[in-house]
Amino acid sequence: MNRIQKKIWMLASVVLIIMAVIWIALTYYNQKTQNQYNDILQRYLSMNSVTNSSQQVVTDLNNYLLEPSEDNLDNLNHSKEKLNDAKAEVGKLINSENEFALVNYMNLIDSLIETSDRSLMFYAESDTDTSNKEFTEATRLSKYISEMTLTLIDTELKTYDVFYRGIISQSAEFKKLGIWLMLLITLLLLMITYWFSLSITRPVQQLTRAANELSAGKFDKEIKVESNDEISFLAQTFNRMRININNLFQEIQQKAQLEHELQQSKLLLQESQLKNLQSQINPHFLFNTLNTLSKKAYLEGSEETSDLLVSVAGLLRYNLKWLDKSVTLQDEVMVIQQYMNIQKARFTDRLTMHLEIERSCLNVQIPGLTLQPIIENAVIYAVEPREDGGQIWLRIKDNNDMVRIEVEDDGPGIPEDKRIKILNGELVETNSASTGIGFTNVVKRLRLFYGIENLMDIQSAMGEGTKVVIRIPKTRGIEQHAQTLDR
Amino acid sequence: MRKAGLIFLSFICIFLSYLTFITAQKAFHSNWKLPAASSEKEDRIRIVLITQELETPFWDKVGKGAALQAKKDGASLEVWGSYGKNQDDFLKKLEIAIQSKVDGIIVQGLDTDKFKELTKIKAAFYGIPIITVGNDVPKAESLRKTYVGSDQHLAGRMIAKLMLSDMGQEGNVILLSDSQQEYYQQQRLTGIKEVLQSFPNVKTIYAETPEAREQVIAKTRDLLNQYPDADGFIAVNANIAGAMIQEIGRRGQVEPYYIYSFDDGSESNTLLNQKKLDGVIEQSPEMMGKKSVDVLMRWLENETVPLDADGYLSEIRMIKAMDKR
Repeated sequence: MNRIQKKIWMLASVVLIIMAVIWIALTYYNQKTQNQYNDILQRYLSMNSVTNSSQQVVTDLNNYLLEPSEDNLDNLNHSKEKLNDAKAEVGKLINSENEFALVNYMNLIDSLIETSDRSLMFYAESDTDTSNKEFTEATRLSKYISEMTLTLIDTELKTYDVFYRGIISQSAEFKKLGIWLMLLITLLLLMITYWFSLSITRPVQQLTRAANELSAGKFDKEIKVESNDEISFLAQTFNRMRININNLFQEIQQKAQLEHELQQSKLLLQESQLKNLQSQINPHFLFNTLNTLSKKAYLEGSEETSDLLVSVAGLLRYNLKWLDKSVTLQDEVMVIQQYMNIQKARFTDRLTMHLEIERSCLNVQIPGLTLQPIIENAVIYAVEPREDGGQIWLRIKDNNDMVRIEVEDDGPGIPEDKRIKILNGELVETNSASTGIGFTNVVKRLRLFYGIENLMDIQSAMGEGTKVVIRIPKTRGIEQHAQTLDR
Repeated sequence: MRKAGLIFLSFICIFLSYLTFITAQKAFHSNWKLPAASSEKEDRIRIVLITQELETPFWDKVGKGAALQAKKDGASLEVWGSYGKNQDDFLKKLEIAIQSKVDGIIVQGLDTDKFKELTKIKAAFYGIPIITVGNDVPKAESLRKTYVGSDQHLAGRMIAKLMLSDMGQEGNVILLSDSQQEYYQQQRLTGIKEVLQSFPNVKTIYAETPEAREQVIAKTRDLLNQYPDADGFIAVNANIAGAMIQEIGRRGQVEPYYIYSFDDGSESNTLLNQKKLDGVIEQSPEMMGKKSVDVLMRWLENETVPLDADGYLSEIRMIKAMDKR
């Protein structure tokens, strides 16, 4: 993760490479030009050295002929060697332009050496005349060589004229190239450096801005840095920190709210407990009052009223006692009988209750006040509105492992959509005539109590009556559930 | 603003790159070529053609023919020589050629002792074959291998006949030759004289003059003074024809005179075109050049040994002034 360092290294190496390339190119070109110059100079120098050494040969020969000493002979031999060397050098200069002339030139040199040798030979044989003649010829040859050198150099100049001019114009171009190149590189480097510094400072700026915003408390703005170096890493961690802080913040807020709600519900609970206690006091007071009233009615000889009041009191007590507990079917049937007593007192002959109960089924556990609301419904809908009254059947039958409870009336029946709503537990009872614990309540309680759906069924035909069927398992499938409910 | 700056910068960048590229191309790309290294074999045959009269139409043609043939045969040939019959220079060139040990020398013959010494002794010493071209020097005196050129004797005869056919069989003819008395001139003269001898009514006056222009003019003046009744002139040496005609022209009309010469002079063609010359003997210089190189190559490659010592004669034709234009 040394990205910034890497970037700096990269910039440095790019600059270095550019410099190196230019340096190499310049050096190479310089070397090349130098070599060319050297070659050119070498050409002229070697041609000139031929002239010089050929003249030297003639001079030495002359010296020797005048004064035939060992030294002079050495000198002569030495200059001959030099001439031969020069000839070999010149031989390298051959090209297609000067080939003919150069071969002639070299042969002339050979001739000069041969002539001087002949001169020496004749001198050794004391043939001075011939020797002198050969010497004259050698002198002439040396002159020819000088002339030819000039001619050759002239030819060279002509041949290489374009070349020389090319070199001159090339070096001028090179100067120009240097200037342009320098300008270009300067500009490029400036741009690269600008871009490079920007690539470092821009993320830092972005990060600074983000930090400012964070410190100002804006935790919900994402920190985004367009970079691929440490800054971006920093930004990422920064961003994670922001998210964490944000989360913690929200958590704390939630907790605070929760605590607040808890506080409120605690208050509500206390209030409801208080209310509950209060509401328990009222019914007990009512119950006692009812009992007092019953005694009073009995003492005054109104036995029927007394019985009625006892039933009401019993019902009331049952209501208070068993609402949230399971009871046996036996208890339920007893409550229904009490309830019926009260209703009979109201409806007299208009209400006829038929009980068809199999005694063996009465030990089955059942949520308290399950049947009463159904019977009450039947009374309200099937008996109350009809002048000639109605009939209600309550049947409890043993049906293998189930107990089948049927409540039938001969009332006007229930519309289909309402029936389905009741079964689904959706209907909210608005009829003020009910005692408060409605039909839906029953359905839901049964479901909860046994943990089985479809325990209740309603069959109804319009104008012919309604039949509510409840099937209760003899043993409860989910004891645990029942226990929790018992408590 | 920023965008504009960026565009501006890029533009400058591109502009600079372009300039750099162009100059780099110029600086690194060398369009000049060095002469190719000598790819030919070292032992390519070297032939030198040496004339006394460089850059005259006749000898240019000889050189051209020789160069053509040399190219065909794969030999390298150079034309050396002196300008305007400068003998010293000519002989110096010949000596250099010999000392340079060229493989063969084709030379315009010069009938002097120095020339003969060079060809006989020096060239023979180095074993360099010499062929004379255009003008011959006898084999016995020069040890030349052969001669390539016109039959000068025949040329002399032809020019005499040409004159007779124009002039008729009587008249005074002045034969002007140069004082060098070169072999080819002697041959021409004998040819002319041979023909004219058989016509007793034709009187020949022979005169010699040094080749320098003033001297030719002086000599012509003398001759015109001496022989005012001259009918015709023959310039045996074509190079003196110009000065001669100039002097005749100064005296009076050129047309009445029958003036003839050969085509190997520098002014021959011009004079013929101006109809100042009534006729010339035209030789075949290109043929000569070609043939000489051919013969020399055959000698050097040992195909024809020995060469025909009498020489290889090239074609000659008569050209009258009216034939032209």
